[in-house]
Order: sequence, then structure tokens, then C-alpha cells
Amino acid sequence: MTAITHNENRVVRLFFYSSITWLLIGMTIGLILAIKYVWPDFLVWGEFLQKYLSYGRIRPAHTHILLFGWLSMAYAGGLFYIIPQLTRKSLEHPRLAHAIGILWNIYIVAALVTLCMGYTTTIEYAEPTWPLDVYFIVLVAGAAYICFKTIAKRNESQLYVSLWYFMGSLIWLPFLYIIGNIVTYFITGVPQALAGWFYGHNVIGLWFTTVGVGFIYYLLPLLSKNPLYSHKLSLIGFWTIATFYVWNGPHHLQNGPIPAWLMKAGVIPSVLLIIPVWTVLANVFGTMKGKWHRISESVPLKFVVTGAIFYLITCLQGPFQSLMQPSAILKFTNWIIGHAHMALFGAFSFVLFALFYHTLPSLTGRKIYSEALMNWHFWLSIIGFLIFAFTTWTAGVMQGFAWTEGKQYGVPFLEVVVSLQPFAIARAIGGVLMFIGQIVFAYNVRRSIKDGQLLSVEEKSTSTA
Amino acid sequence: MSGQSKERFMKPFIIGASLLFFIGVTATVVLPFYDEVMQRENANAKIKNYAIDSPEYRGRQVYIREGCHVCHTQFVRPVKADSSLGPVSVPEDYRHDYPHMLGTVRTGSDLTWVGTRWNEQWHRVHLNNPRQVFPGSTMPRYDYLSDQDTEDLIAYLMSLKPAPSTEGR
Repeated sequence: MTAITHNENRVVRLFFYSSITWLLIGMTIGLILAIKYVWPDFLVWGEFLQKYLSYGRIRPAHTHILLFGWLSMAYAGGLFYIIPQLTRKSLEHPRLAHAIGILWNIYIVAALVTLCMGYTTTIEYAEPTWPLDVYFIVLVAGAAYICFKTIAKRNESQLYVSLWYFMGSLIWLPFLYIIGNIVTYFITGVPQALAGWFYGHNVIGLWFTTVGVGFIYYLLPLLSKNPLYSHKLSLIGFWTIATFYVWNGPHHLQNGPIPAWLMKAGVIPSVLLIIPVWTVLANVFGTMKGKWHRISESVPLKFVVTGAIFYLITCLQGPFQSLMQPSAILKFTNWIIGHAHMALFGAFSFVLFALFYHTLPSLTGRKIYSEALMNWHFWLSIIGFLIFAFTTWTAGVMQGFAWTEGKQYGVPFLEVVVSLQPFAIARAIGGVLMFIGQIVFAYNVRRSIKDGQLLSVEEKSTSTA
Repeated sequence: MSGQSKERFMKPFIIGASLLFFIGVTATVVLPFYDEVMQRENANAKIKNYAIDSPEYRGRQVYIREGCHVCHTQFVRPVKADSSLGPVSVPEDYRHDYPHMLGTVRTGSDLTWVGTRWNEQWHRVHLNNPRQVFPGSTMPRYDYLSDQDTEDLIAYLMSLKPAPSTEGR
């Protein structure tokens, strides 16, 4: 495969390093939220902090920074890196891509500031106000244009499966974003909630999932040194995800004020999502066949395989909790918080960690500074996340059943809140471990750039392959 | 591969991916919008159709600004977990809600009909320091709100009552 050009290198590094910064900031806010569950007066030191770091204001800042600062910037960097590799064509308009990276950072800062000031549309994952939405859509459209133009001018005749997933995601994301951020601006009531949840679910399904799966298909053969198990299976996966995922929005209002036909229209495709998920996992296990021992040698491979398994668990859990009866217990509880974190942290952040460790040597010309710290990153992330996940799931089940016993408001509701305190503490501890893991990650990346061992000429030629 | 055959490949792909997307949009966003239950209003929707610059309207803006919807839902489902919350929500109730306040998580309790539960003075104490009435509550203190904001917010919360005609739903 082609060596990365100087311009591409500059663009990808801008996106990658920015995303790591946003990862740390977003998770800091997450940690503040977790501590506020245990100690509601945390950071209520003076009116300024109390007001601008109030729970209701920083919670959307937490999700927004991690979705669009960390994951999406890292995704864009990954696309700008992988697409030239797979097309054997240097990136089109690298200067424009670089400008988009800078403007993207400005967007995240502006979103953070306005959300803390209390300007919000209240539509989940689309909280920033419309001028910021328009600004962001232009950036996304610009990034999509660069990627498509590069693919259209490719020198490689075969279209590797990752490119299918990337192209689909880049078509869907701008439309999704417009429906969630602009269309919702003009409508009221339940239809607004449906448009909002169409966006809220599909930004996960048709952007974070599909690009992430593209990354898995790119990384797995390289890291396991086995060819991809089945090209056909991956294409079946692509078209089934494109068919079923879009219908998932209404299950967010399951049992709620929507017509019965719409609940069915939302749940049946949710259940059918098992098909695309299973194709990915069948491919992962097929590709790993005979190469499982490599997991002990390669931290990036560990991250990819673990991420893929979390993706499977998320998508077994998701259809289950979208069904009417489980939803009647689990909806609105902590369970859902655990579920959301599994997709975005356990699955796709893990895939990104693998991508970063895999690509950094070819970007910087240096090896990763410390193998031991990579392992620390992996274990702190996974142990912290498992503590977080199991406490939220257990707490969610407890909450759901307590509510069915009538503890729905006032003092009885409060009893449930108080009984969940040990879980809130465990959840914060899990969060601290996850956060320390990311500090280790950021430190290791920082040291690799400066002090990593230089790659030999031979390693340089293979590192991009 | 020639340029032409590349083009041939990309066009069906783009059309197919877009088509599947827009079928889903039509089914789950456009059709519900035109469903007649979404277009009707009822007595509850009229109550919640606050005049701009009424205390309730301003209070709702405070509710949004402070992110109350992040922890409190506003919809009652016909399920056991919502059995004592009051009349079950229907689409017509929300006809004029902009933005909607349905919510996603019940970190705090559901507020659909909170106006039936407490009085103004209770809210004043509770907003100022939730732990004064509910020891162990994790809700933030809203003692930093101006008096005007607090009173508007209370007016909004007190307005969240079912219309008599929908009482036994």
C-alpha cells in the first residue's frame, strides 16, 4: 500500500490529537456527573461553578463532546488515513481537510460554552442551537466531499468492504444531522420527538456503528495477518444494516404516546438488527481462526476483538430492551446508561484505540513508546468499564422493579434513589478507572511522538501495510 | 478499471443507500407526522399552549435552560411502573409542546402531572434545597435562580395538571 504523504500526515495527526484532547475533557465532565450522583453539592463552590457546571447543563456537554469531539473527530481522522490506503490515491484537498479540522475544534469549544450557558434545543445529541448546527453540517459535508472525491479517483480497482461502510456513513450522516437538528426546529410535540429519536438512534447506527465496523474490517486482517474471512458476508451485513437500522427511532418512545403501528415498525427492525451484527461477528471469528494466539502479542488486536465482542453484546441487549415488556421495566433506568456506554465506549472507542496504536507509528515514524502502558490502558479501560456497566445494569433492574411496586414519586421514589447510592459510588469508581486508563493512553501517545524508538527503514515500509 | 466503470459502480451504491435511508425516514418520521392523532389537540394541549410572556411560558424556558428534562421525563405509559403517575399520555397532549419535554431518563421522578402533587410553597423550599424536604435526594440546589426565575418555574410546574375531561384516562 502507498506511503502516507506529508499533507495527509498533517491532517490525520490534527484530527487524532484533537480527538484525544476531547476524550480527556469529555470524560472529565462524565466523572463530574458521576460524582454529583454521590455528592450533589460537588463543585457547588461559588455561584459561578454551581450555575455553569450544574448537572442539567453539563450532561449534554458530556455526551456532545464525546460523540462529536472524541469519536467523530477520531473517525474523520481515521477516514482520512484509511481511504488513501485502500484506494492507493492520495487524499484530495488536504488543505481543506486541515481547515475542517481546525474549524471542527472551534465548533466543539462553541458547543461546550453555549451548553454550559444554558442554550439548548433539548433534542438529545442535537443540543447545540441552530447556528452551530448549520456550521457543523458544512464541516461534515466538506469531509464527506473530500472522502468521496478521493474514492472516485481511486487507483485500486477492487473496492474493499470498509469503503462500502465508509461511503454509506458519509451519505447518511449529513441527512441524519439535518433531520435531527434542522427538521426538529420546525415541528412540535410527539412528531418532533420522533424526528429527534430518528436522529439520536441513527447517528449511533449509521455513523458510529458503520464507520466503526469499517475500521474493524480494515484492522482485523492487518493485525491478525489473516485475510478477511468472507467478503460476501460483510456485504450482506452492509445492506441489512442499511435496511433495518433506519427504522429504529420509535423504540425510544416504546409504550409511550405513539400509535401501535409505529411501535411495531420500530421494534421489528430492531430485532432484525441481529442479522448485520451477526455477520460482523461471524467475520471477526472467521478471520481470527488459527490466529487467536496473536491476541497475547498485540494490544491493538486485543482492543479490536474486545470492541467487536462488546458490539455484539450491545446489539443483543438493544433488541431485547426495545421489546414492549422488557422496555416497561428497563426504560428510563440506569440500565439504558450502561447500554449506551457499551456501544460508544466498550465497542467503538476500543476500535479507535486499536486504530490509533496501529497507525501512529506510520504517522510519526516512531514506535509506540511503551507496550506496558498500552496494556495498562487496555486493562484499566475494560475493568473500569465492566464495573461501570454491571452497576448501571443492576441498578437499572432494581429501579425498574421498584417503580412497578408503586415507588413512583415523592418519598417512595426517594427511597429508591437512596438505595441506589452504593451503585452510584461503584459507578464513579468504574468511571475513575476508565478515566485513568485514558490518561495512560494520552501520556503514552504524547511520549511516543517525542521519545518513541525510531522505526527502521524496513519497518517503515511495512508499517503502512 | 476504467473511470467509467467506477462511476457505474458508485451510482447504484449511492442510490441504493439513499433509498433505503429515505424509506426509513418516511416510515418513522414523515408518516407519523401526518397521522391524525399527531395533528389533533386536546384540553391538555390547550392548557400547555402558554401565551408568550406568561409566567408559565417563562418558567418553561427556565426548565429548559437548567436542563430539568435531562433527569425528569414527562410521559406516562400504560404500564405498571407508571401506575400511580396519573392519566396516561396521548399524542394529543403534546400538540403545542415546543420543544417537547418527553425526556429519556428518570433520575428524578416523572413530572407530567406534577402540578397535582405539591403546592407553591413546597416547590419554593424544595428548589432552594431539595435535601431539606427529601434527605438523600441527589437533585441539585437551585438557590442560584433569581426570584423571578424561581416563581416562573413554580408557575410552570403548577400548571402541569390534567384537564378535568382527561382525568380518568
